[in-house]
Amino acid sequence: MMIPPALEAKADEYIGHYPPDRKRSAVLPLLHLLQHEFRFISDEAVEWVAQKLGIAKIDVLGVVTFYPGFRQTAPGKYHVRVCRTLSCAMAGSHQLMESLCAEADIDRSHADHHHPIAVSADGTFSIEFAECLASCGSGPVCMVEDDFYEKVDPTVEGARSLLNSYRHR
Amino acid sequence: MVQDLSTISATIDGESHVIESGDTLLKFVDRHRGRGHVPTLCDAPQLAPYGACRVCSVEVALQPDGPRRVVAACHTPLAAGMHIFTESAKVQKLRRNIVELVLTDHPLDCLTCEVNGNCELQTVAAKVGIRGVRYPAGANHLDRAKDQSHPYMTSDLSKCINCSRCVRACDEIQGQFVLSMHGRGFNARIIKGLDTSFEKSPCVSCGACAQACPTSAISDVFQSKSIEASRKTRTVCTYCGVGCNLNVATKGNEILSIQAPLDSEVNHAHTCLKGRYAFKFVKHRDRLRSPLVRVNGRLQPATWEEAYAHIVENLTRIKADHGGHAVAGISSARCTNEENYLMQKFIRVGFGTNNIDACARVCHSPTAWGMQKAFGTGAATNSVEDLQYTNCIMVIGANPTEGHPVTGSKIKQRALKGVPLIIIDPREIELVPFATHHLQLRPGTNVALLDMLAYYIWEAGLTDQEFITKRCENWAEFEAGLKSLDLDALERIHGVPREKVKAAAIEYASAENAMAFHGLGVTEHSHGSKTVMTIANLAMMTGNIGRPGVGVNPLRGQNNVQGAADMGCQPHQGAGYLQVNDPSNHLLYEQFYGAHISNEIGLKIPQMYEAALAGHLKAMWIVGEDVVQTDPNTEHVKAAISSLEFLVVQELFMTPTAEYADVVLPASSFLEKSGTFTNGERRVQRVNAVIAPLAGTKPDGQILCEIMQRMGLSQPDYTPEGVLAEIARIVPFFKGATWDGLTEQGTQWPIQEGGIGTEILHIDAFKRGLGKFHFFPFQESKEIEKHHQEFPFILTTGRILEHYNCGTMTRRTGNAQIVTEDLLAIHPQDAAMKNIEDQDQVRIFSARGEVRMKARLSTEVQPGILYTTFHFPENLVNVVTSSECDEDTLCPEYKVVAVDIEKVHAPDATTIPALTH
Repeated sequence: MMIPPALEAKADEYIGHYPPDRKRSAVLPLLHLLQHEFRFISDEAVEWVAQKLGIAKIDVLGVVTFYPGFRQTAPGKYHVRVCRTLSCAMAGSHQLMESLCAEADIDRSHADHHHPIAVSADGTFSIEFAECLASCGSGPVCMVEDDFYEKVDPTVEGARSLLNSYRHR
Repeated sequence: MVQDLSTISATIDGESHVIESGDTLLKFVDRHRGRGHVPTLCDAPQLAPYGACRVCSVEVALQPDGPRRVVAACHTPLAAGMHIFTESAKVQKLRRNIVELVLTDHPLDCLTCEVNGNCELQTVAAKVGIRGVRYPAGANHLDRAKDQSHPYMTSDLSKCINCSRCVRACDEIQGQFVLSMHGRGFNARIIKGLDTSFEKSPCVSCGACAQACPTSAISDVFQSKSIEASRKTRTVCTYCGVGCNLNVATKGNEILSIQAPLDSEVNHAHTCLKGRYAFKFVKHRDRLRSPLVRVNGRLQPATWEEAYAHIVENLTRIKADHGGHAVAGISSARCTNEENYLMQKFIRVGFGTNNIDACARVCHSPTAWGMQKAFGTGAATNSVEDLQYTNCIMVIGANPTEGHPVTGSKIKQRALKGVPLIIIDPREIELVPFATHHLQLRPGTNVALLDMLAYYIWEAGLTDQEFITKRCENWAEFEAGLKSLDLDALERIHGVPREKVKAAAIEYASAENAMAFHGLGVTEHSHGSKTVMTIANLAMMTGNIGRPGVGVNPLRGQNNVQGAADMGCQPHQGAGYLQVNDPSNHLLYEQFYGAHISNEIGLKIPQMYEAALAGHLKAMWIVGEDVVQTDPNTEHVKAAISSLEFLVVQELFMTPTAEYADVVLPASSFLEKSGTFTNGERRVQRVNAVIAPLAGTKPDGQILCEIMQRMGLSQPDYTPEGVLAEIARIVPFFKGATWDGLTEQGTQWPIQEGGIGTEILHIDAFKRGLGKFHFFPFQESKEIEKHHQEFPFILTTGRILEHYNCGTMTRRTGNAQIVTEDLLAIHPQDAAMKNIEDQDQVRIFSARGEVRMKARLSTEVQPGILYTTFHFPENLVNVVTSSECDEDTLCPEYKVVAVDIEKVHAPDATTIPALTH
């Protein structure tokens, strides 16, 4: 695992936000940085954060496993998050999820609260339900990587057209 | 004036009691109603309050009839005027519901569970009145697999109740951070390492988690929480100078398991894997079970009387032909005070010679000598417990997490709480990541570095002039010495940048209370005694003497190395450190023993070998020490002991040394005998026999009394009480020591009449009157001067946690499955230069000889430095170590050996097969 200098500089900046004897408080910002960079938190990443903050590896791992938002395995090339909170659920987010899975060839039968992510057979897409994505008036909404989509057509056709724009990149 | 009781008291169910500072509700209730009155699952007395399980919920009100609130008692601070209700219907119902929920995910196989009858969940469930679980069977974790990967530690997480006691024990007691909670909610579970097994995790098998676990979710292979034992005996560990108290569970004459007592001042429910788990050597099939006598060149079994007769005949003849000075004894720091006392008495009275020494010679003799010169007493000035009062810890040439694990973890815990820690060590030891300063010097340059530290303290004006003027002498000469130092030269010699040394000096000197610890990395050098005096200089110039949290504290190696010296197993001082060549002492000893006693200083261990080779020394008696494996320059030692006419060895096992004996006497181990050990903080503690001696063996004290009687000396039969009473009459600082007066916690000497001990030495004045400064300039070791050109690497040796000394005992326990061989640590840069890869077989050769072992690439050592241990006879590292010694005490220089290395291409076919178990 190679840490880019810019990431390390950012990490040091975050650590600097806390008093020197409370460095461990930077564990969450650092994990977010690493997950953003490497797409998931590997054992090496856990070790790097532990070393950086002078805490035990196992304490970092405890944080990683506590939050379902941190992934310990690689997601697909494009990670999709579908809002399932009330407004979107009523606007068809469960249908949208089914359509996206069918279209991307994703088996979600093993996903649960503690393992929320499912990856497509070819590794192109991964998907999970997310809590409110803050656009309740325009559901169903979803995100592909950092791109935000509103009033998504929840049918298979709608899902296809959404995913195709990534397939052909 | 009448004090308003409500300002200092609180009530428990209407009854008023005085509160203490630091009380939580639970501590307060425990103290007045007994532990268990308020049930709890996650709280344990050895751990900090946590508040996870809520079973200890109580109601609290600020007025007797005021509104009540339910709080968890374990982590709620107590305040005066509180009214606590421990038994209200509301809390009883709450507790019952919580425990009922816990039981929905716990197997109800109590009758066949190893902790049946000693399970805290079982006790709490009974206490709160559970009569059944109302919930239907749902999701659970009852199918979790057991972890039986480790030689000692086991886990069965189907029994886990997620109280986190084990995690906290690992963090708060041991400081190893091996256990943690993984995931959350229903899926939360305990993991080891990064979610692996005990065996693959960095667990050090201290067993603190197993002892803390309220169920059998984490346990050990000896099932130490089972109530199968019919008896528990409290005794003291034999493995190191910490002196942990142990509670040994037995059934009949079998040892089942060992735990650490909660109320022990020394170890507070903690100990290491040696104390807790390494006891199976006691009944190992290799134990000697009969005396052996050499007949026609071969050691053959004999009866005790035959062996004694053979000894009496030979020793009487040698004494008659060559005089008593032709006999020498080496006593054992593993044996009790009483046995050491008898051994020196046997040699001194039986042969009229002071040729008596002990293995302190090869470890802490420079400490005893150096501290006597500086302070007047050759022992730790303070107690390890003082760590809680100190503001700065300096560890010099010691690796306590390996050598003195309980002290090591206490130091680590203090460092984790922010107490500055200074490590002076050539290696990056386990404590370094927790340290504020690491001064990584070249081995053999302690004096250069410590002189520089003293210089910077002086330069910064951080000396305690009042202490120096009132309490010390020779300051002017010392100050002149500091002024004469050439800092550029010193920096080149020890290799640590001067800014780092200066920062550490200022840290140490500006702390309100600074405490120094040192180990064999200080003493086992050609300037070992001088280094000890240099450490004493630092303590005196900063006034860090005579109060809690300060001082100079040697980490004594063996369980009773302090006692062996106290009892007179030294050639220059008799029992109680009285100089043998002082006329008044000589008279005292002659009158006391009613015999002719020599007033000439006797031979130190290395001098015994020289005398044997020169033909002056004809007979030796060695108690419990394997000099062939542990003394430096093995070939030299072998030549010396084989040139003797007569050698007697008292041992548990056949050792490389015993192979040379004419008579081998089978001794009993510490678990099979009673007596006292004195730990590294001068604490005299009672050792209590746990089981009867193995058939055919006798306690060393009994052997010595029987031989003294047969040699015609008037010596009563052996009882530890009787010998202790004799010691109290001759050793001034044991004056008030009595067998019954030594309580469970032991007593720190000097023990005054009435059995009153002394926790801190030199409070108002030094034992010698004034503390004496000594200035020594750095001198290069002769080993380096003579051999560095030809052998460019410096090898330094040390110890690991899992094995004890030459491993005679630990290699015959499960520890041998954890660590199987000595390895050579080598910096990757050096390895690349020598074309050596990790695990390659390497030849290490010095001017004395060569040994082979596997390489372990590590940046814990600096380039040019090599490090290994000496626990395995298959490796016999001391073949390469030198006969260079401390100039003052002849303590060998194990820590600086000029060697060279090369990769071995063909594996060595002649290695001795390892022991089987």
